[in-house]
Amino acid sequence: MGEALLTKNMFKKQDDREKIKEVETIIGPSIKVKGNFNGQGNIVVEGSLEGSLKTNGDVFIGDKAKITASIEAHEARIGGEVNGNIKVKKYVEVAASAKIFGDIECSSISVEQGAIFNGKCSMVSEKKEAKEEIN
Amino acid sequence: MHVYLYDEYVNKKKYDNVLARIETRITDLGLNGKIIRLGVMKNIGEAVESEMKRGAKTIVAVGDDRTVNKIINAMIKAEIHSQLSAEIPFGIIPIGKENNKIADSLGISEAEEAGDVLSARRIEKLDIAQAGNHYFLSQAKIESRGTTVEIGKDYSIEIMETGEINVINLSVFSNLPENANPNPQDGVLELYIKTKGARTLKQFAPQENQSLFSLKKLTLINKKSSIILDNAIEIATPAEISVVKKLNIIVGKERKF
Repeated sequence: MGEALLTKNMFKKQDDREKIKEVETIIGPSIKVKGNFNGQGNIVVEGSLEGSLKTNGDVFIGDKAKITASIEAHEARIGGEVNGNIKVKKYVEVAASAKIFGDIECSSISVEQGAIFNGKCSMVSEKKEAKEEIN
Repeated sequence: MHVYLYDEYVNKKKYDNVLARIETRITDLGLNGKIIRLGVMKNIGEAVESEMKRGAKTIVAVGDDRTVNKIINAMIKAEIHSQLSAEIPFGIIPIGKENNKIADSLGISEAEEAGDVLSARRIEKLDIAQAGNHYFLSQAKIESRGTTVEIGKDYSIEIMETGEINVINLSVFSNLPENANPNPQDGVLELYIKTKGARTLKQFAPQENQSLFSLKKLTLINKKSSIILDNAIEIATPAEISVVKKLNIIVGKERKF
């Protein structure tokens, strides 16, 4: 994945089409995944998922997606309903359509007006993260 | 020596001209060899195994996707049962426009070009996948209704709309989503699920009716429908699918991978 895609603007409109091309897994709207999903690349979820979702890449949760799972990813854009904790190394974008019932851990966050978020949000600074990696 | 296995259907009169042209071209190129005509009385497994034992230089399927699937299965089974070398290159001469998607994907779109492709002998090691007790080169297909996909013990996928599930090794599709890039040399299979209700690409969303996964092993389960391999053979479920072998295949310059 190109460096440009890792910026905070990665989910801005102009980048979306490019972003989607880089996706390794697409869980479409008619799909229900049950269990522990471990991926390496970027994942788009438009359907439903129960269990856990873990990837080294980025996660894109579509507006109509329904997730009952913990999420771990590099960056994330949440547009749908998430029941579970979200742990992201870098940036989380919470869209207006999002409904989050769980805690968020990240380095940077933006929450659009209209989003529902019931949970704690803890910010992990990059410095601390780097320290943890050294240790 | 080159061994040409003619499928039964190519004996139809309508193929006489094209076969004559191919045979002339093959002779011109100095590639002539033994011709075996497959039929009800001919056991393909025994025929392939005996030619492999005799030291065939190339085994060539003269027919369609079904012929390709039958011969690949025979070659691999001969290799396993008699410990023969699987290094013998496999070639294809496609006869007829219908049901020749594998040859097309390998860059052999016209029967008349096939002789030149065989002569150029551009060999690629391609993955061969196994579903149950059968082998396939291109894809395994099953209808999505009532099908569950299990990925080891980790997770399962249920499809809630009608449509089609394809497990792709060598892609024979012309309209796969941009994200899908099946490579028949990477040891990985693409699970491509297409369900009804297709819409165009929307903002912030993939095409609504398509799903895509990259996997090494999966199991397809459907009590009512069977799996179709290489558009040729039907097998029952549950069937575990994974890449199990590599085969030397003669490909054209215009191959689609």
